[in-house]
Amino acid sequence: MLLITLKRTFLSGFQHFKRNGWLSFAVTSILSLTLLIISTLIVLSLAANLVIRNVQDKVDISVYFKSDTPESKILDFRSTVLQYKEVKSSEYVSKNQAFDDFKEKNADNPVILQSLDAIGDNPLNASVNIKAITPDKYDIIATAIQNSAFKDDIIRINYAKNKLVIERLNNILSMTRRVGITLAALFSLIAILITFNAVRITIYAHRQEIEIMRLVGASDRYIRLPFIFEGITYGAISAIFVMFLLFPLIRFAVPHITGAVSVKDVQSDFIHYFWLIFLVQLLVGVGLGIVSSLIAIRRYLKI
Amino acid sequence: MIEFRNVKKIYSAGINTIALDDVNFVIEKEEFVSLVGHSGAGKSTLLKLLYAEEKPTSGQIFFNGEDITQLTPKELPLHRRRIGTIFQDFKLLPRKTLFENVAFALEVSDHSDAEIQELVPQILEIVGLAHKMECYPREISGGEQQRVAIARALVHRPPLIIADEPTGNLDPISSWGIIQLLLKINKLGTTILLATHNKDIVNRVKRRVITLDQGKIIRDHSKGRYAI
Repeated sequence: MLLITLKRTFLSGFQHFKRNGWLSFAVTSILSLTLLIISTLIVLSLAANLVIRNVQDKVDISVYFKSDTPESKILDFRSTVLQYKEVKSSEYVSKNQAFDDFKEKNADNPVILQSLDAIGDNPLNASVNIKAITPDKYDIIATAIQNSAFKDDIIRINYAKNKLVIERLNNILSMTRRVGITLAALFSLIAILITFNAVRITIYAHRQEIEIMRLVGASDRYIRLPFIFEGITYGAISAIFVMFLLFPLIRFAVPHITGAVSVKDVQSDFIHYFWLIFLVQLLVGVGLGIVSSLIAIRRYLKI
Repeated sequence: MIEFRNVKKIYSAGINTIALDDVNFVIEKEEFVSLVGHSGAGKSTLLKLLYAEEKPTSGQIFFNGEDITQLTPKELPLHRRRIGTIFQDFKLLPRKTLFENVAFALEVSDHSDAEIQELVPQILEIVGLAHKMECYPREISGGEQQRVAIARALVHRPPLIIADEPTGNLDPISSWGIIQLLLKINKLGTTILLATHNKDIVNRVKRRVITLDQGKIIRDHSKGRYAI
């Protein structure tokens, strides 16, 4: 009996969708727009995260030691710094390693290599590169180092040079988050309201049918189910449609907005999250369809 | 079969309107009862209370011994399947064929496809429209549309049929056709409650007449005439 109800209500929901071509088209378009806005925001936040990750990886502070500082003391410093809770990692670069790195970096610049040979000695200093867990912690770390027991062995901390970059990054980060969340909430709200109204119109178009169903003794469940299935159809079709739309959109738009990050990264991230994004869309679409149907139909089921 | 006990219905939208005032009557099985009165006398309200579209302000309404004012929302659909309803405006679905319109009533009450295939043509045969069952409502006359509505009301064999001004939109000949059909259905054992203000019909039927005026029953004659 339940099976027969499900079969009939599903067919009739699908029939509603088919027979009211224009209305279905309008509702599906509006729902697609909603999903497109929501998923664009998801993708943008994915891209923003990538940019941030990328820049964060590039930012660090380097602490340079005087040439006569014994290696053991520098290693000591490194392990002390590692104990700060703000520090994510710290890496010791010895004099020799710095020299090798420098040579490698300038391998195709004979002038520099020749001048290095001319000096004979290794002019570079040993250093410790420190990465913080979040960019806003560099200030604290730099101050702590300046006031530590090691301060006499340190020639310079190149924090000042990075300071501007780090501060900007911090500002941009908090700005994008705030603006992003506000925009997402606002657009989603508008889109949801429009979807609600669109579904209400489709149900209004069926009010006579609902009235007759009640008169001939259809249960509330039987009256509701076709509209729920109709809502599911809207949601599913919109989700599939938007997924098709989103892929080329990302292909064309991403190179223009990301800048620092390689396009491949964003695209591979998108492919990586394909099913997640699709699932979110399907859930949001179907959920919106069902909830708007239920709310819209309530007034026709009063007694 | 039906009993109204001290039923009162007040619509309170802005000013209180008394639609029914202390109404008491009994209808036995297989009776054919005409309910007459001016517009606004309370006929439609009385019918709505019977198929539980409205609830009375006070009083009890019994259907086969059960107080239908106490029905839960879950029981309502089951109650409505015991009553066939016919209206002045037919209430057919324009996008469904005659067959589908009648089948609709069976579909919502979980009848199997086989039953539907068997019952619907039978019922359409009774109202004389079996040959038009693939037509759409707009393709047939008003009288024929009302016959389809009757077929739909009859299809799950309810013990009671309520007809609210079924001839209001029809010419005299079609109207009489509809009434004859209702009389025939009554003869087969279905109780009929007919609300109308068509004087000719009431006088020709010569059955029980309940007269309502301003929400009160002012006359109840077993071989009544239309007299207001």
